[in-house]
Order: sequence, then structure tokens, then C-alpha cells
Amino acid sequence: MNEGPLIEARGLTKRYGDFVAVDGIDFAVERGETFGFLGPNGAGKSSTMRMIGSVSPVSGGTLRVLGRDPEHDGPAIRERLGVVPQEDNLDLELDVQENLFVYGRFFGLPRDEIRRRTAELLEFVQLADRRESRVDSLSGGMKRRLTIARALINTPELMLLDEPTTGLDPQARHALWDRLYRLKQQGVTLVLTTHYMDEAEQLCDRLVIMDRAKIVAEGSPRNLIDRFVEREVVELRFGSQNGPPPVGDVGQHVEEMQDRIVIGANDGDAVVDEIHRRGLRPETVLVRRSTLEDVFLRLTGRSLVD
Amino acid sequence: MSAVRRILAVVGWHATLYRRVWFGSVTVSFINPVFFLVSIGFLLGTLVDRSNPDLGGLSYLQFVAPALLATTAMQTASSVTTYPVIAGIKWLRTWHAVVATPVRVSELIAGVLAWTGVRIAIAVSIFAAVAAIGGGFASPLAVLAPLAALLCGVAFGALLAGITARVENPQWLAAIYRFGLVPLFLFSGTFFPVSQLPDWVEPLAWATPLWHGVELCRDLASGSVAAGATTLHIGYLVALLAAGTMLAVRSTAGKLEA
Repeated sequence: MNEGPLIEARGLTKRYGDFVAVDGIDFAVERGETFGFLGPNGAGKSSTMRMIGSVSPVSGGTLRVLGRDPEHDGPAIRERLGVVPQEDNLDLELDVQENLFVYGRFFGLPRDEIRRRTAELLEFVQLADRRESRVDSLSGGMKRRLTIARALINTPELMLLDEPTTGLDPQARHALWDRLYRLKQQGVTLVLTTHYMDEAEQLCDRLVIMDRAKIVAEGSPRNLIDRFVEREVVELRFGSQNGPPPVGDVGQHVEEMQDRIVIGANDGDAVVDEIHRRGLRPETVLVRRSTLEDVFLRLTGRSLVD
Repeated sequence: MSAVRRILAVVGWHATLYRRVWFGSVTVSFINPVFFLVSIGFLLGTLVDRSNPDLGGLSYLQFVAPALLATTAMQTASSVTTYPVIAGIKWLRTWHAVVATPVRVSELIAGVLAWTGVRIAIAVSIFAAVAAIGGGFASPLAVLAPLAALLCGVAFGALLAGITARVENPQWLAAIYRFGLVPLFLFSGTFFPVSQLPDWVEPLAWATPLWHGVELCRDLASGSVAAGATTLHIGYLVALLAAGTMLAVRSTAGKLEA
């Protein structure tokens, strides 16, 4: 059995005409880990996922998935993948178990095996009592869980999840995270994209941050926080119409915005004391631990991406 | 797993979808020919002078019934390979889910066209049975006419799937129906011999795929089969099937595998 990385990309590039969606990125995903692509919209995450999923041809560089070349071995690779796309593409006109049955047949699975797997999977995603419901009657969270069950019908070694929880309410998100965490414990390799930092911190062993088609940082969530931002963040909000007054040289990293100041600091309380000593009276003061979100914003900037 | 099994899985998927609607669909396939054959074949047909040499000695019913067999095949094909193609690519995106599995785009298209064939076979068999009972066929060779209609219909289906996958736009599709399928239905020699068209228009009719399907069905149903003409019609339709299939695979791959 091949013991190299499950996915290996070197100089991986995707172009659509003149537009470069993915610009020469390198990464490797090992068996059993949960690997994340983080980035704002349009950073190239989905294009990368589609190339790994062997549905979108590589424009440049090399890509190996499960030790094979997607260009020549697409069907053999896809046979061992489970794909959860960004937009649901369930068959709304079929019921829950028919969706799984039809999908299993695309993998060439025998009918009996599909029926057995369907029973297990619907239990796993807590849809056993909805097995005969038409898909268009399910809630958003249920559809997502069904999409995950469908992606598991062929017992994949590698699961690709493109923004698996976008658009779900908090309960549904947490329910989904629990399922994904259990898959991870069963040894399934998960690759996911997200722009929710808490999701990445919860699930990912390792992640890369993408911005404008390139990878700008790589590491574990903890490691990225340690490397790119200070231990704590102080957020000061001022009520004045003229914007916040200059705070001067405090903490390790000061960012002044329209109506608030964000200070990265190794000791947040000391910064707050210093602010007060300088006679500044912010309306609200918040001291918190740094999160992946702070790393993300520090690396990809605060301006809106459309 | 072999390509054939993957193609059959696509056919099975469509059969699963059809299970919910088959009764209505089959009922329409039965009522439609009855309406057409009664209103046009019998009632309108009584106004048509049987001795007109262009009818070749057939009653008007016998003239029009095999042609309607071919148009039924075309219409059935269009119901499988137009709007459902946009749904698969754009509205429901189910085709994206299919190509994320081992199924290739070419196998997806092959499965869709095979299913189109199944649907046409059901519709033309019912039509042929109704027409035969009503005396619409003059020759025993008419048993082969449904096969000719099937070839015509699947070739149409392939072409329509190819165009639909490319334009991917319901307004365009409505235009294709209005300015493509409806004129073909009316002017491809279905209701009158194309020799009645102005001389300069007649070659246009020969170029259209439906005319070849209509002529093939009519020749078989009336028992006046000429080797040369039959080869030409079959050759045209097989070539259209091949070209349409290639177009469908290419357009679909352009949408699903960008």
C-alpha cells in the first residue's frame, strides 16, 4: 500500500482564460489528518477542491491524489472519494433513501450493500426517521447531513467538504461538526474549506490560509496563532463621532479603524492599564485570547472581498 | 467497474425518477395519438382527395400516421433532453453530483440518451399500437416503423442535449421550440408531401432530420421501401446521432469540468 501523502500538490495552478484562480500552490495532506483551506471568497479554495476531486483539469504544476494522477485516473480516484459540494445537489424529486441508492449505483455497489450502508448512514446522520421523506421537504441542516451520508456511501478514504456548514444555524453546525469529528476518529481523512474560523479551529489538525490564489500561511491552528499574532487582543470602542483618539505606542500591534482600535498584545491587562494611565476613556473594553480569526484578518486584510 | 455498468446506473437513476410519474406519462402517450389520429387522420382526412398522386394511393390516415410516429419520437426526446439537461447542469445541479463519482461525462450522456431511447420506445410502441388498430398502417413492414422512429428520436435527443447544454438558458430553449421544433413538425412532410412546397424550399426540407425520420417511417408503413432512399435516411440519422452525441459530451464537459 502506498504510504506517501494522500494528496500532494506542487506548483498547482488553475487558470480560466486569463484569470488565475490558483497560482502555483504547494501542499500535502497525510492519511488520517483533517486539513483545511481557509480564505476569503474568491481566494481559490473551491477551484483547488475541484481539482482534488478530479472533476476540474489542472492547468499547471503537478497533483497526485491517492497516489494517482487525476488527469488519467479520474474514475479510479473518484471511486475512493466522498464529495460534499458547496451547493447542495441532491435529487429533490427523490426521497432520502432513493438518493443514497441511486448514488451508490454510480459507484457500482451491489444493491444489498447499498441498503445495508443506507441504514447505517441514515442512523449516523440522524435521518433514519426521514428515510421516505422527499428531499425538498427537508430543512437546510438535514439536506447537508444527507449530502454527507451520500458522500459516505462508498466508504471513502478521503472526504472533500467545500464549505460544509455555510448557511446553517448554530445547532445544525454543531450537529454537523460532531458527525465530522466522529469520521475523523474513524480514520477518514478530511479536507475542508471554510471561512468560519471556529470551524477550522474545531476540526483542523493543519490548515493553509489562501488569499488571492496563493497560500499565505500554513500550520496547525495553535501554531498559526503563535506565529502570526500576539497571545491576546484588546478591543477598544470609542463613541465619538470623530473616530478614536490616537492611543500611541501600546501592545505589540495596533490597528486603528473607523470607530475602534484593535491591539494585539502579549499582556492585554497591562495594555488596558496603560490606556487608562494615558487618560483615554474608551466606551467599551474587551480583552480576549487571540483566535484564528485574528490571524486570518492580519494576513488577508480587513477590506471586504466581493 | 466497467463503463457499461456506470451507464446502466445512470439509466437506473432516470428509471427511479420516472417511477413517480410513469402513469401520467403513459396516459399522455396513449391519449395524444388518439387525439391526433382522430382529428387529423380521420376527420381532416375525409376532406383530402384520395386520388391525389402525391399520396401514393394511401388514405390520408395512412399518410399521416407513420409521420406522427416520427414526430412523437421527436417530442418525447425533447422532453428528456432539454429542460432536464438545464436542471442537471444549473437548477438542481444533479449532474455535478454524478460526475463527482466514477461516472464520466461521456457515460452520463450515454446513459441519458439510453434513457431517452427507453422513453421513446414506450411512446412509439403505444402510438403504433393505437395507429395499427385504427388502420393507420398499410403494410406489415410497419412493425419496423417504431424502430425507425426510435432512431430518429434518439438522434434528435442527442442534438437537443448538445444544444441545451451549451446555451443553458430557458429563453433560448423556448426559442428553439418555437422556431425549431414547431416548424419542423409542421413542414417536414408530416401533414403534406414536401413536393407541395415551393421548389426552392423543398431542398430545405430534405436537409432537416425530421423529414428523414418521417420518410423512413412512411416508407416502412406503406411497404414502399427503396434501398437507396432507406440507406440515405438511416445514414443521415446515424450521422446525426453520432454528431449530436459528440456535441452533447463536449458541451456538458465544458459546464461540469471547467
